[in-house]
Amino acid sequence: MKKIALYLIPLGLFLGLIIFLYQGLFSNPREHQSSLLEQPMPEFVLPDLMNIEQTYNEDVFLGKVTLLNVWGVWCITCAIELPYLKQLQGEGKHIVGLYFDQDMDPDFGIKTVARVQQEVTDKLSQLGNPYAFNIFDVKRDLSMDLGVTGAPETYLIDQQGKIRLHHIGDINPRVWKNKFAPVYDLLVAQ
Amino acid sequence: MNRLVTTLMILILGSVINLALATEDKFHFDEPKKDALFLELTKELRCPKCQNQNIADSDAMIAVDLKRKVYDLLQKDYDKEQVIEYMKQRYGDFVYYQPPVNPMTIWLWLLPVLFVFAALVGIVITRKRQGVEMDSEQLAKAQEILERDE
Repeated sequence: MKKIALYLIPLGLFLGLIIFLYQGLFSNPREHQSSLLEQPMPEFVLPDLMNIEQTYNEDVFLGKVTLLNVWGVWCITCAIELPYLKQLQGEGKHIVGLYFDQDMDPDFGIKTVARVQQEVTDKLSQLGNPYAFNIFDVKRDLSMDLGVTGAPETYLIDQQGKIRLHHIGDINPRVWKNKFAPVYDLLVAQ
Repeated sequence: MNRLVTTLMILILGSVINLALATEDKFHFDEPKKDALFLELTKELRCPKCQNQNIADSDAMIAVDLKRKVYDLLQKDYDKEQVIEYMKQRYGDFVYYQPPVNPMTIWLWLLPVLFVFAALVGIVITRKRQGVEMDSEQLAKAQEILERDE
């Protein structure tokens, strides 16, 4: 009897290892807990993308449940995501864009604002415009404070201006249903 | 024609290398101490977008932005811990290659030690048992030989 138990130990260890590694097959290494959850939006003062004269700060998110979508015309997944965002906007969701340009090097600034605006207008007239407005993250400072790693990424911000969700990658019906809808519905019901 | 192409290639390659050197020079400090710290930090900070590259190696936009940020922070006289803390606040523990010790990660250190300990115990036990078994067997054999001789 004791011998059987002794033989079961390696079997148990092996099974444990198998389960551990099997789970690893389905885990997404790109997904890691955002350290900004439940934190207020970082402070910022940034211009509107289409009207550089107008500036926003973190108070612009107060009083509304907002989806802050980080995007750019150079981002292919963003273009795939846009029609679905348009649909969400049609359902009454408040979507704000956080736009940053890849070619805008803070040290060189090789692109004019007018050209960026033209590109954005072209893209949005082609695919639909889900955004209430776009914040232009000129030097990608706000993106850094938000822990943005690329585009697209989306934040769910509550009425008090607190970050409730951070999603890396595109929003599609599956992501919306599993990740956003439960939190969003709860926030809106408040 | 071929020669022209080769010459062009060399020229293009040369300018690419020059460009690479130029970007290396972009982050330059007046104090050599900060230069060393900058190199150390960019080696130990992990690019959040790429899976296993530090920000010194990576050319992803985010890595370049992080390098610039490290540079700015060092210019503002941040020390090493402060820069790491700044990055962790934004990108989480993921951004630094040295994981913090907490109830979840403590196993990274405990498991190998436990494994070695268990293996040692196992070896000692089997050795002991085998020793005894062999002795009694040999004794029996010896006894048998003795008895035969008589």
